[in-house]
Amino acid sequence: MIEAEGLTKRYGSKTAVDNIRFTVQPGKVTGFLGPNGAGKSTTMRMIVGLDRPTSGRVTVEGADYRDLRAPLHEVGVLLDAKGVHTGRTARKHLLALAATHRIPTKRVDEVIGLAGLESVASKRVGGFSLGMGQRLGIAAALLGDPGVVILDEPVNGLDPEGVRWMRLLLRRLASEGRTVLLSSHLMTEMAQTADHLIVLGRGRVLADAPVDEVITRANGSAVRVRSPHLDRLASVLASPEIAVTALGDGAAQVSGSTPERIGEAAAAAGVVLHELTPLSGSLEDAYLTLTTDEVEYRSDLEEVSR
Amino acid sequence: MTTLTAPRTLPTGGRVTFPRVLRSEWIKLTSLRSTAWSLALIVVLGLGISLLMASTFGLAEAEMDGASTQQVALTVATIGFSFGQLIAAVLGALSLGGEYSTGMVRSTFAAVPRRLPVLWAKAVVLFLAVTVVGALTGFGSWAATYGILDGQGVSSPLDGPLALALLGGAAYLGLVAVFALGIAAAVRNSAGSISIALGILLVLPTIVALLSMSIDWMVDVTPYLLSSAGSAMSSIPAELPAGAEAPRGADLAPGIAAAVVAGWAALSLAIGAVVLRRRDV
Repeated sequence: MIEAEGLTKRYGSKTAVDNIRFTVQPGKVTGFLGPNGAGKSTTMRMIVGLDRPTSGRVTVEGADYRDLRAPLHEVGVLLDAKGVHTGRTARKHLLALAATHRIPTKRVDEVIGLAGLESVASKRVGGFSLGMGQRLGIAAALLGDPGVVILDEPVNGLDPEGVRWMRLLLRRLASEGRTVLLSSHLMTEMAQTADHLIVLGRGRVLADAPVDEVITRANGSAVRVRSPHLDRLASVLASPEIAVTALGDGAAQVSGSTPERIGEAAAAAGVVLHELTPLSGSLEDAYLTLTTDEVEYRSDLEEVSR
Repeated sequence: MTTLTAPRTLPTGGRVTFPRVLRSEWIKLTSLRSTAWSLALIVVLGLGISLLMASTFGLAEAEMDGASTQQVALTVATIGFSFGQLIAAVLGALSLGGEYSTGMVRSTFAAVPRRLPVLWAKAVVLFLAVTVVGALTGFGSWAATYGILDGQGVSSPLDGPLALALLGGAAYLGLVAVFALGIAAAVRNSAGSISIALGILLVLPTIVALLSMSIDWMVDVTPYLLSSAGSAMSSIPAELPAGAEAPRGADLAPGIAAAVVAGWAALSLAIGAVVLRRRDV
């Protein structure tokens, strides 16, 4: 479990993380989602004691990371894929980290196998592709068999097979009861991997809820209906929360209600329906809705294309 | 795919301890090619320059200038240390500066969040490795040049004072590496720390020499410079005639010089430690 309370980080006059509070639960994959500059990486660095919070606190299993006696056994972390000395071989890198906790060589070879690095373990890291670097980062994170795993943009640079591998790995780690926190700006990846989302924008928490809920809440719920008697249906549904927008071709989009309620209301009033389709938004839509005002570096091009 | 793990059955003994951090730093130092190259260069340059000096210099004349044969043999054996100290400084600066420039430092401090044990372990490992290599170089150079010097009548047996001076030179190289490590911890990058360390070794003496032409007390500062104290540390003090006083700005006694060099290393390490603890990485 990871708990943040009033967590704030300022760099000079710039506030990277602004008084945020969240809890990451064990047994689930929790996603940190947000545009670049939203504070995801800064928050992760504060969790593992690399950056000191300006104010507030974040704990791992109830303790400050800096007070952990055996941090690699508690928390595995992948920050950036290239957090490795380029002149050292993958295996020596892992052996050096393992030595700090007297983790046996057997375990080093185990994580090399787990990450699929056998063939390159004795090669120097400088020649690694981004994808291999990520795999090495994962191997390092799992070295101490930690109960908490924190991964910053883990699918960056992975090929499709690697992405699938990562997704399965994360799911399995969570199913073993571990706390899994990953960050990404890739919404589709999050939709497939995460159970719970913490959406960040400009250092604030914009949403903290299960994935489905984030989507529904951000999109509102819309339902597409077709009926020969749209006018009657509209008057049956009339209420301040419900909006009916005619789409032409006898179809309309109803927002603020559910297919069940629309169907029941139509049946009660004897209105014939030809179609009743829930329009579930994508995580991408939800994300854009949530972060529209929060993107820090929006290009002019994007403005124009809107 | 391999199975992930047995369900969380961890050895409870797997805590971070200083000996374990030492072992980790030893693995780090010995697993980089740059380390092997640097250490080999200290030996090769040291031996090579000593041999060159022994075979080309008019040593017999040097002896007539009042230097003992022992001092001639010592000078020949330690001449390469003036280059060795530069390599030692680069090695010390890279051992932490390289971690900052590659991002490795984040992995390091995530594993050892208290950070300072890493600095102490790096200091110990560097000091040992460089001092041992320095001793190999010093004693090796003495042995390699013995025959040539003997032919010129200026060879010296390896007696106590000579051995002590050679060990002093070796320890000086080790301390220079530690000194550069402290600077790297303070400035947190390779290029900057190498520049500062080499500046203090090479440029500072020139500046002090220039200043001492106009500022009188600067003369008294000279022996306390890192490089001056370093050469005093690996010297055999000449016997002064009874009643005579050493001239101003003369070399310190080897023991005092060793303390001064250790002081430079300790000061730099202390500044590095303060920065290391406080800064984000």
